[in-house]
Amino acid sequence: MTALEQETIFRRWLEAHVGLVLKVVRGCTAVTQDQDDLFQDVLLNVWSSIPAFRGEAKETTWIYRVAFNTALAWRRVERRRRQGHETYVKFDVSPKLQPSHLDLQSEQEIVTQLYAAIRQLPKVDASLALMHLDGLSYSEMADVLGISENYIGVKLNRIRKQLAEQLKGVSNEL
Amino acid sequence: MNFEDLQKTWQSQDAFVKATINADLVLQEVRRNQRQFGATIFWRDVREVGVAFLMTACFIYVAVKTHQWGAGATALACFWVGVFMLVDRRLQHRQRPNANASLRACIEISLFQVNHQIRLLKNIFWWYLLPLAIGVGVWIINVSWEIPPQGRLSRVELAGLLLGSSVIICGLTFWLVFWLNQFAVRNDLEPRRKELETLLASLK
Repeated sequence: MTALEQETIFRRWLEAHVGLVLKVVRGCTAVTQDQDDLFQDVLLNVWSSIPAFRGEAKETTWIYRVAFNTALAWRRVERRRRQGHETYVKFDVSPKLQPSHLDLQSEQEIVTQLYAAIRQLPKVDASLALMHLDGLSYSEMADVLGISENYIGVKLNRIRKQLAEQLKGVSNEL
Repeated sequence: MNFEDLQKTWQSQDAFVKATINADLVLQEVRRNQRQFGATIFWRDVREVGVAFLMTACFIYVAVKTHQWGAGATALACFWVGVFMLVDRRLQHRQRPNANASLRACIEISLFQVNHQIRLLKNIFWWYLLPLAIGVGVWIINVSWEIPPQGRLSRVELAGLLLGSSVIICGLTFWLVFWLNQFAVRNDLEPRRKELETLLASLK
């Protein structure tokens, strides 16, 4: 793979899947600076992984793997702060809502609570919860984590209960 | 709200999370980080393995220059340590987890690496301290043997003095190296191993 091809793929993935990376990052840590560090680490690993991408896996599955593996390692190492790097990505988590989007405000609150609940889960369960909420199939989740689909089902039942416990008041029917 | 509604709400967050990315800057940063990472690994190897080989060269020079064959034994010990670290690094490099491997595979490889590192540091006496102690010991004996009598001290007394003080200094240094490595195992590697084992258990 040439450097130009790698760059082209990276730019395309960045545009298409930045939301996915952001979800994993926000699901791991609530601290803005840590999110920034982890975000950058994930992008670095995504970049490095591109030459190994043969198109056999879905792009989203691939990026999930890279993101979760990075998040796992990132939590283990001593957190380092990057000083003085330029801001290349800006996240506006609460853009001004139009009057027609009043529902959006409550949706945003629910999502914020969900992130907080996900961060309380054990790491593997948090990964599963993120993928499940994003609508990945059992086989895709099994592929990312390297476990059987049956076990995914068992774990998701438990995770739904745990999330329901933590989101009492938001949803009683999980 | 049921889970499907929650899923819809979750997936709708793209509507209120707006990411503005400067792709050129991201690429620049990613490339810079990759270079930095490569440089960190390279200089770590140079520092640890390079020092061992540099010491080998220094002791060979001393042995040739002073005709003290004991310095050659120290050089041999340093060379052994350097080769051991180099071979171990190369073998471990092959075991590095792929960023795109499944989470379970990634944890298993990381656990293997941590276990290897623990074994390495727990056995530091056998592959690092003992060869160096033998090398340095032989050299000190060699120097003590050749030392001429000075002042009121006889040759045997001087040799004893040199041997005794060397044993104390080297013993303390080696003990400190051993203790620091065991400290790293207890405070860094063992907790990491437990964390990885817990993660792996949650996937079984």
